[in-house]
Amino acid sequence: MNNAESVADVVFRLGPLAISNTVLTTWGVMAGFGLLAILLRLPINGQPSRWQNAIEAIVVAIEGAIGEVLPPASVRRVLPFVATLWLFVLVANLVGLIPRLHAPTRDLSATAALAVLVFGSTHWFGIRDHGLRNHLRHYVEPSVILLPFHIISELTRTLALAIRLFGNIMSLEMAALLVLLIAGFLVPVPLLMLHVVEAVVQAYIFGMLALIYIAGALESTESESSSSVENKP
Amino acid sequence: MMQFDWTTFILEILNFLVLVWILHRFLYRPVLAMLDARQQHIKDETLHAEQLRGEAETLRQQYQQRLADWTRRQEDNHHQLQEELAQLRSSALEELKQTLADEETKLQVRNQSLIAARETALVREASSTAYAQAAAMLQRLSSPELTQRIVDVFLEDLNKLPDSESAALRKAASMLIAASAVEVVSAHRLEENLRARLTQALSAAAGQTLPINFKQDSALIAGLRAVIGECQLHANLADELAFFNRQIHHG
Repeated sequence: MNNAESVADVVFRLGPLAISNTVLTTWGVMAGFGLLAILLRLPINGQPSRWQNAIEAIVVAIEGAIGEVLPPASVRRVLPFVATLWLFVLVANLVGLIPRLHAPTRDLSATAALAVLVFGSTHWFGIRDHGLRNHLRHYVEPSVILLPFHIISELTRTLALAIRLFGNIMSLEMAALLVLLIAGFLVPVPLLMLHVVEAVVQAYIFGMLALIYIAGALESTESESSSSVENKP
Repeated sequence: MMQFDWTTFILEILNFLVLVWILHRFLYRPVLAMLDARQQHIKDETLHAEQLRGEAETLRQQYQQRLADWTRRQEDNHHQLQEELAQLRSSALEELKQTLADEETKLQVRNQSLIAARETALVREASSTAYAQAAAMLQRLSSPELTQRIVDVFLEDLNKLPDSESAALRKAASMLIAASAVEVVSAHRLEENLRARLTQALSAAAGQTLPINFKQDSALIAGLRAVIGECQLHANLADELAFFNRQIHHG
């Protein structure tokens, strides 16, 4: 929360690429996750440690949450994307609480990137499971007239994903900054607690919406496939 | 505030995809593989446990079958042993009964012989007592008149002596040695005429004249005893009582 107005300051330039603090923080988060994964990978066999048990509990909980929405055959295929989405958005939301660090999800570019990834993943998993033809068929059913509405729906929900996450996190940080500026030291602590709750809730909502969209793509093509099979003489 | 930077946008997409790969490669895959391995291990262990349980159940059934067979065999052996014991007991009882019956028979025979001996002894004792009492009674009743009366009866009987006894008397008389004499013992003293009648009657019965030596013996109670060589003629109460006493003892 160093500067609310300069959302994506360019920290340095890497050739033609201007590396902003959003990207830099994301790299830091990636490095943290990568280091944690590599460190936890070492004692994966034998007697599990306390950390390993925690990681296993998290993975099993995520797998269970995905399994409640998706069919069992698709859980393991979707799990890496959705789990990473949940973990990344949660950490990215909470990073803003650390002084002098910048929450990546406060940047519309980052949330838009995540929303586009969700958009792409829904089609990716749909096409991968049922083929391009079957996946695209549900956009023109039960009538071709509904095609524009389907397209608008896809675009608006993707935009809503990006705007919702960006708006919530940015507004939280702005409110905390304003309270800090007006009230002084220690006063925004309750607001920071609310920030934690909001960060968790927003991460859950973002991941769950992505999961629901993916499940919708899988189920729509699946139901159409089953209905087409049933209609065959 | 709502700035949009395409560089950040594209880099964030790439960053997220890289993060997905990293986490999938180093976190999800190992953890899920380990969870699967653990689940598979649990399944294998469960299957193995089920197999062991099945084997244990089979062994338990075999054991129960063996136990049932053993129990049945034990019951058969017990039943057979009971029958053998019953047979042995029955045969032993039969032998014991037979032994007891034999012993009882022997005891009865022994008792009977003892009773007979006792009875015989009692009879002998009674006869002896009766002989002694009768002798004492007759001793008290004896008198010279009774001796004379018995002598009269003796003389009557001597005249009616059967031929066989008469021949035996004659033979005994003929075998007398000259020095020896015929002896007549009486319980009381005989009168002279009675002695003469006796001498005459005995000589007539012997077929020769006999030198008779008269004696007196009160043990005869009443009557007389004539001794002619080997032949003796009894006509007194003491000899009669002794005869009856001997008859009783020999009987």
